Amino acid sequence: MTVTENPRTYKYVGTRPVRHDGLDKVTGKARFAADLDMTGQLRAALVRSPHAHARIVSIDASKAEAMPGVKAVVTGADFADLDPTHPEFDMAVNLMARGEALYNGHVVAAVAAVTAAQAAAAAAAVEVDYEPLPAVLTIDEAIAKGAPIANTTNRTLFSGDAEPSNLASVNEFGRGDIEAGFEAADIIIEREFRTAAVHQGYIEPHACVADCGQDGKAVIWASSQGHFAVRSKTAAALGWSTDRIKVIPAEIGGGFGGKTTIYLEPVAVLLSQKAARPVKLVMSREEVLRATGPAPATKITAKIGATNDGEITTLQSTMYFDNGSTKGFSALTGAMSVASYKLPNLELHAIGTVTNTARSAAYRAPSAPQAAFAVETLIDELAQRLGVDPIDLRLQNAVVEGDATAMGMPHPKIGFVETLEAIKNSDHYNSPVPEGAGRGVATGFWFNIGEQSSATVNLNEDGTATVVTGSPDIGGSRASMALMAAEELGLAVDRITPIVADTESVGFTDITEGSRATFATGMAVVNACRELIEELKQRAATIKSADVERVEWVDGAAVIEGEDRLTIPEITAMAKNTGGPLTATASLNAAGAGPSFAVHVADVAVDEETGETTILRYTAAQDAGTAIHPSYVEGQIQGGSVQGIGWALNEEYIYDSNGVMENAGFLDYRMPVASDLPMIDAIIVEVPNPSHPYGVRGVGETGIVPPIPTLANAIAAATGVRMTSLPMSPPRLLAAITGGADG
Amino acid sequence: MATVHLQADHRRFTGGEKTLRVDGGTVGELITELERRYPGLGPLLTDGASVAIDGELIPDGIFEKVDASTEVYFVAPISGG
Repeated sequence: MTVTENPRTYKYVGTRPVRHDGLDKVTGKARFAADLDMTGQLRAALVRSPHAHARIVSIDASKAEAMPGVKAVVTGADFADLDPTHPEFDMAVNLMARGEALYNGHVVAAVAAVTAAQAAAAAAAVEVDYEPLPAVLTIDEAIAKGAPIANTTNRTLFSGDAEPSNLASVNEFGRGDIEAGFEAADIIIEREFRTAAVHQGYIEPHACVADCGQDGKAVIWASSQGHFAVRSKTAAALGWSTDRIKVIPAEIGGGFGGKTTIYLEPVAVLLSQKAARPVKLVMSREEVLRATGPAPATKITAKIGATNDGEITTLQSTMYFDNGSTKGFSALTGAMSVASYKLPNLELHAIGTVTNTARSAAYRAPSAPQAAFAVETLIDELAQRLGVDPIDLRLQNAVVEGDATAMGMPHPKIGFVETLEAIKNSDHYNSPVPEGAGRGVATGFWFNIGEQSSATVNLNEDGTATVVTGSPDIGGSRASMALMAAEELGLAVDRITPIVADTESVGFTDITEGSRATFATGMAVVNACRELIEELKQRAATIKSADVERVEWVDGAAVIEGEDRLTIPEITAMAKNTGGPLTATASLNAAGAGPSFAVHVADVAVDEETGETTILRYTAAQDAGTAIHPSYVEGQIQGGSVQGIGWALNEEYIYDSNGVMENAGFLDYRMPVASDLPMIDAIIVEVPNPSHPYGVRGVGETGIVPPIPTLANAIAAATGVRMTSLPMSPPRLLAAITGGADG
Repeated sequence: MATVHLQADHRRFTGGEKTLRVDGGTVGELITELERRYPGLGPLLTDGASVAIDGELIPDGIFEKVDASTEVYFVAPISGG
């Protein structure tokens, strides 16, 4: 279902063609990094620390090196020594320990051998002498007075402090007068919230193949959200120049933010260099869970005040986000995502901690879901206490264009009110709550970003086109690029082939993150198409001996003086006679990303004997700006919702007292599957972003923000128990219900 | 000359001032002037902040032109997942 501010006027944008890469994916033909095999290829295995924190006294690989099939071993001593102030220092230390192992699972050495079994056996034979050190495993332990230092290289960001610290960053921002805001309030609610670390859960484990030649250059086939970033990060970790590295993007089996950093590629390159053979390195699921970036665990206190008339007067919050072993994902972003309401008085403290757990990484609207859990729970309680409809309370306080964001700058044109109204007017919200069930509502915000993109559009001799970009396709972006090119050129979308090119075949392009690909790379495609159209008009003028000023581009053809018409195939057929191949390239650093809002509603039933929550009905509305390919927008909304549902109800990292993850497999790390869920009804709201030629805002991330508070609020309605810790799993919810206290 | 809005973190350098009129024709020149007036603030603005100009986040906006009517916000860096 789509709620559109403006009537649609496009021929291709907004249609639902079969995605160009779909057939290969559903038939198993698509080649992911782990599918690749090179002649003479070796397999690699990693040696990981069994300690959460330990000094590496020595590493003896002599036994391993003497084992059958072993061709190379690398340790931290083989990598470049980066200055701790280098922006990639933490990434480099995370992929190979230097001096200290900082968490259970931290890589301390790697082995390449002829077979995977030989590599695994040799990795087990590497002798590492550790001196265990005190480990810091939780936020509370990290901030405790006299706590041991989890990572002696860490300095608190921007503090100027020279001493090691367990704080990655400490920030504060806000506006107005907090005390006056609370004095003006008739109702004040304050709570503390806790959320566990959770994993992005992409189905494809990290994998790569590296082939280092005798010329000192390396080719890497990688699964990532940004192969240019793989190149630059690998170059930094090795101390190489980027021209020595070519990265070819393999198909990607999910990333959700977790593949915006790297773990394997520099290791595989060094092993390949030492062995003079290609090296394939593939993580197991256990390795993925133990040692790649979860979303941070959090501890959040939040206090909100409102008048009896429903006006929110103030919000004060202190948010701790655990970065893990090194600086990972910023606490600030979570705090800044508190942006949905007019808040005249606001005080936010955002603190990142460092612990001896896996380094955190971005996860879809990074840090916003945890912040929304706190704020949207308090908003729901306000509505409950005031006796008003929870959507009406939000509408009363909703930000509109010109209102301040959490950071202070004004919101551009946004569609929050329209998204709230879409749910308020939905069939779901206007249906009775099933007997014995509870209904919850919550909202979410995400910034969306621009960044750098490049695109080349090549017209082939028969008038078909190839759209070349550098944005890995993690959410249907090839289809959206083709649709925008089709709309610009007036060429049927099935005559356009969108491809993702390697780092030597297309201009620099930033990571596919921040819901930016269709927005920013899409703008590059549009700009390239518009340049190409100018050239097509010139060629048509040449062919017809006409003045180019009298040539217009109409529905895929050059129209000369309003009559004579030359189609793209007719022009490309004459290309060699009119100036050669028809191609155009555009690059940009995109500004004007359009913020996105989402509103979700859920009906849940809670089994009061087991604590199990069953979702009876779920509807999600989100402002897409313009849905270029509505099916994939709906898919993004549904996918984000499901990930948020898993985060809310089941998923958590469980560590033992030694910092060992106890549930490092999908049997014990319980993600939702299709049979756990009802159909997620998606409502696309379209309030176009004026800074994009088609109004795109980006849709990948916002959908994961509302589900946690939506379900917490629904559970509160169903049971009367207000849950403040995640996950709201059956045992935890049962304890809260039977204990009669908030959970 | 432009109006510059600073986050709470930055205000320890400015004696609590959160909005300032600053000389300069580009964002980079504003930062240079702010560093001259408040030593230590400049690196936070160049390395640790994104720039929003008149409400729009501008990636790497150091060369963006500003004038007397421009509102410049230095906000925490934003990335995504």
